[in-house]
Amino acid sequence: MTASDRGTASGMSESTASAMVGASGVATPAGVAPDRFFKYWLIVPAIFLLLLVGLFPLIYSLVVSFQSLTMLEMDYSFAGFTNYIALFKDARLWESLLHTVIITAIALPIELVVGLLMAQLFLERLPGRQIFVSLLVLPTIISPIVAGATWRLLFDNRYGPINQIVGWFAGEPMPLLWTISPYLVYPAILLCEIWQWTPFMFLILLAALSNVDKSLTEAAEIDGAGYWRTFFKIVLPSIWPVMAIAILIRGLDLARIFDIIYALTAGGPGTMTETASIYAYVQGFQQFETSYTAAMAFLIIALLTALVTWAIRRMGLAK
Amino acid sequence: MADLKITNLHKHYGGVQAVRGIDLEVASGEFTVLVGPSGCGKSTLLRTIAGLETPDGGTLEIAGRVVNYVRPRDRDIAMVFQNYALYPYMNVFENIAFGLRARKTPQAEVETRVRRAADMLGITPLLDRLPRQLSGGQRQRVAIGRAIVRNARLFLFDEPLSNLDAQLRDEMRSEIKRLHQELGTTMIYVTHDQIEAMTLADRIVLLREGKIEQAGTPLDLYERPATRFVAGFLGSPQMNFIPARLAQSGGGWAVKVGDGTSLALPARQREGLADGRAVVLGLRPQHVTRANGGNRPGHQRLTATVELVQPTGSRAYITFPLGGVPTVAELESHDVQRPGEHIDLDLDMNRAVLIDPESNRVI
Amino acid sequence: MPLMRRPGTVLAMRYAAAIVLTIFFVFPVYWLFIISFKTPDEIFAFPPVWYPKSIQFANYRVLFKDGDAETVWNSLVLAGVSTVIAMALGTICAYSLVRFKTGGENLAVWIISQRMMPPIAIVFPIFLLYVFFGWVDSFHGLIILYTAFSLPYVIWMMRGYIEDLPLELEESALVDGCTRWEVLWKVVFPMVRSGLFATAVFTFVFAWNDFLFALVLTRTEVVTYTVQVTHYFGGQSNFWAKIAAMSVLGTIPVFFAVATLQRYLVRGISMGAVKG
Repeated sequence: MTASDRGTASGMSESTASAMVGASGVATPAGVAPDRFFKYWLIVPAIFLLLLVGLFPLIYSLVVSFQSLTMLEMDYSFAGFTNYIALFKDARLWESLLHTVIITAIALPIELVVGLLMAQLFLERLPGRQIFVSLLVLPTIISPIVAGATWRLLFDNRYGPINQIVGWFAGEPMPLLWTISPYLVYPAILLCEIWQWTPFMFLILLAALSNVDKSLTEAAEIDGAGYWRTFFKIVLPSIWPVMAIAILIRGLDLARIFDIIYALTAGGPGTMTETASIYAYVQGFQQFETSYTAAMAFLIIALLTALVTWAIRRMGLAK
Repeated sequence: MADLKITNLHKHYGGVQAVRGIDLEVASGEFTVLVGPSGCGKSTLLRTIAGLETPDGGTLEIAGRVVNYVRPRDRDIAMVFQNYALYPYMNVFENIAFGLRARKTPQAEVETRVRRAADMLGITPLLDRLPRQLSGGQRQRVAIGRAIVRNARLFLFDEPLSNLDAQLRDEMRSEIKRLHQELGTTMIYVTHDQIEAMTLADRIVLLREGKIEQAGTPLDLYERPATRFVAGFLGSPQMNFIPARLAQSGGGWAVKVGDGTSLALPARQREGLADGRAVVLGLRPQHVTRANGGNRPGHQRLTATVELVQPTGSRAYITFPLGGVPTVAELESHDVQRPGEHIDLDLDMNRAVLIDPESNRVI
Repeated sequence: MPLMRRPGTVLAMRYAAAIVLTIFFVFPVYWLFIISFKTPDEIFAFPPVWYPKSIQFANYRVLFKDGDAETVWNSLVLAGVSTVIAMALGTICAYSLVRFKTGGENLAVWIISQRMMPPIAIVFPIFLLYVFFGWVDSFHGLIILYTAFSLPYVIWMMRGYIEDLPLELEESALVDGCTRWEVLWKVVFPMVRSGLFATAVFTFVFAWNDFLFALVLTRTEVVTYTVQVTHYFGGQSNFWAKIAAMSVLGTIPVFFAVATLQRYLVRGISMGAVKG
C-alpha cells in the first residue's frame, strides 16, 4: 500500500524558490528552507518514541542476552552464546512454542470459518440487523483479561452455568474442572478465545462481502453458476486481500496470546497450557532469569518477524 | 410464438413505481431497443426480464413459459452489463467459458465454442489476458463474447456502450449490429442514447416514467411520433417546438405564430381543426433549410435574422427567432452565416407535426 | 428445481440462526453483569440463578469503599493521556508520510511492522530500563509506553484518512497565504475530524484494555483495573463479586465509546483494510 501519488504536495521539491513550481503547480515564495525541514519535524517525535519501543528492546535484549544476568546476580561478563544454547536445549521452551502453535492452528481456522458463515448470514437485508451486529460485537471490545475472567466464572466447577447446562444434558450434576483438568483446559481456552474473537472476523468479513461488486455476482447468476461456484470463484478472490489482513492480524495476536491464558489457567495445570508469552513472563518475572529471558525475547522477536515477513510475501500484500 | 411476452408488468423499486403496467411482445430474432431518459424504468424492466428483480404484478413469459419466479440461470438468457462485469481474477478465456463450465460442458466443447466466439469478436489474441490488461473496447467485446458463447434464446444488453468514448461507441455499435445479423438471436437492448436506438433497432420501445410512450419501427417513431415527448426525444438536434394558433386561410389551414407570421399547412386529414385553436408547431431542423429554387408544394418561405451559428463540420446549424421562439435550421456546412445577417429559409410544412398543448399528443 | 426459494422461510431460518448466535455471544457478558448485581447467596447458589431477583449495588459500593475503584480512574488517566499524545504525534507523522512521502515505502513498512512486535518481548527490556530510571510503578512510565505502542496504529489509520482528503483544499490554503503549520491545523485537522475521533476511541480502547504492560510495569501505586481484576483470583476461591463488578466498571466506558462509533467500527478494527 503506497500513499497515493496525488498526495505529493509542492513542498517536496528541494530546488530553489524560483524554480519551485511543484507537482501542484503552486509556486512557493522564498522560504524554501523552513518547508524543507517541515516534513522531518513532523515525524521526529513519533519516530523517536517508536525507536524507543522498537529498536531499543531489540538491541538491549541482544546485549543482555550475551551476559549472565539474573535479578540477583549482576554478572556483566560476556557469556557468549550460553543463553542461546540453553534456549535450544530448553524442552519447556519448545513445548511452549508447540502450545502456541496448537492454539493458533485450531482457533484461527475456526474463527475464520465461523466468521465467514456469520457474515453470509447477515449479508442480505435483515430487519434489525444493526441491533444484532451491535450485540455481536460485545465480546471483541471487552478486555481480553475480562473475557478470561468472565469465562473463569462461567467455568466454575460448582456454580458456573456451563456445568449446569452440561448437567442438564447428562442428567446428573457434572462438576467439571475446566481450568484444571488436563482434558478440559484446552477446550476451555479455545472456547474463550474463539468466543471473543470470532466477532472480529465476522465484522471484517461482513464489510468485505458487502463491498463485493454486485454486478459480478449477478453476471455469474445469469451465466448459470450455482451458489458454491459463485462463492469460491467470484466472491472469495474478491475479498481475499481483506481476509488476508484479518488472518494476519488475528494470527499474530494468537501467537502472542497471554491475557486469556493468564486468567484461565496461568499456564497450568503444570505447564500444560503454557504458551511462549507466558513462559517468557515466568522466566523474566518469576524466575528472574534476566539474561535468559532477554535471549528468549530476542528469539521471539526474530521468529515473529520472520513469520510475518513470510506471511506478507506469501499473501502477496505488496504494502 | 413470441420469444418474450410481457403482460401488464408492475415493479416498484426503492419506493418508486418504476414500471407501471407495461405490455410488450418481442418476436423471435427481433432487435428491440428500450430507450428513454434516466429514471424511465428501462433498466428496471430489463433486470426484471433477466430475473434479477421480481415483478410485483403482471406476467413475464419467455418462449411461452411463465418465468416470474424462475431463477435467472434457468431462463435461457444472456446479459451484457454496463460495466462489463468481467470476473477480475480469471483470464479472458475463463471469463467466456464460465457459463459453460457452470453447466458442466465437456472441455473439448468449451474450447471450440469459446474460440468460435472469440473469433467472431476478434479477440482471439487476448484469450490469456486478464481483464485489467484490456482496454474498454476489448473488455466490452469479452463481455459480449461471454454472452454469445452460451447460445441463449434471449440476449439482454444494459447500456453496454455508455462507458465508452464517442469513437469507440460508433465502432461497437456497428459490431453489435453485425452480430445481430450474423446470429439472428432475439436481442433486447437498453440505452438512453437515441442514436443507438435509431441505428440498431428493429423496433423501438420508448419509455417514460414507467410506461410505454410509443413503440414501433424507428422510422415510425421518427416520422409519425404520437406525442410531443417522442417527437422531441428522437432526432438530433431536437425538433423545434413553436407555440401557434390555427387559422383558416384561403380555403385551407395555416398556423399563426407569435409574431403574426402565418405558415400554410398542406391539406391533410387532421382531427379537431378549429379556428383559433392553440397548437404547438413541431418542425425538425432538417426541414428548415436555405431557400433556393422555386417554391415546392407544401413549403413555406420566410426571411429571418440569424442569432447563433453552430458549425459541426458536416452541417451548420443556425438559430433564428420564429414567433419569438429560438428555432434551429440546418444548412450546408459551407453556407457560412454571421449573426445579424438575414437569410431566406424554406420550411417543409409537409413534415410538420401539430401538437395539442394540453395533452401533448400529436394531432 | 428452477423455482426461487420462498423468501419467507429463508428469513425465518436466518432469524433463528441470528438469535442463537446472539445468545451464545452475549450470554457470558450478561452473566458477568448479573453476577455483579447479585447477593452472595445468589452467586453461590446451586443450581445457578439465571436472573437476580433484584439489582443490588452492594458489590460496587464495596469497591468504592475499599478504594479499588480508583484503579478505574488510573486506567482512565493512562489511556486518556497516552491517546491524546499518540493522536497528536501520530497524525502529524501520518501527514508527513502521505503528503511528502517522507522516508518512502520503507519507513511506512517499518512503522507498521512495529505493531507486530510481541508485547512480552518489548516489555521485558523496557522493564529493565525503567528499573534503571526508577520509572516502574509510575504514571509517566506507562504513559510513554502506551503512547509509543499506539503510534503505529494511529499513524496507519490516519494515513488512510488523510489520503482520502482532496489535495486541492490544502493547495488552495497555501495559495491563500497559510503556512504549512496553519494548513495542517486549520484545514487538515478539521477535515479528518471524524477519522481522528474514531481512531482516538480505538486507541483509547486498546490502551484501556491492556493487561501485560500494566502487569509488568506497575506495583502498588498505579494499578489499572485490568490488573486489579486479577488480584481477585484466588487459588481456591475467587472473589467473584469483585471480579464481576470491577470488570463491569472497566467495560461500561468501552461500550459507550464503541456505541458512538458504529460507522467506523469495521475500519477501525481492520486497520483500515475495509472502508466499511
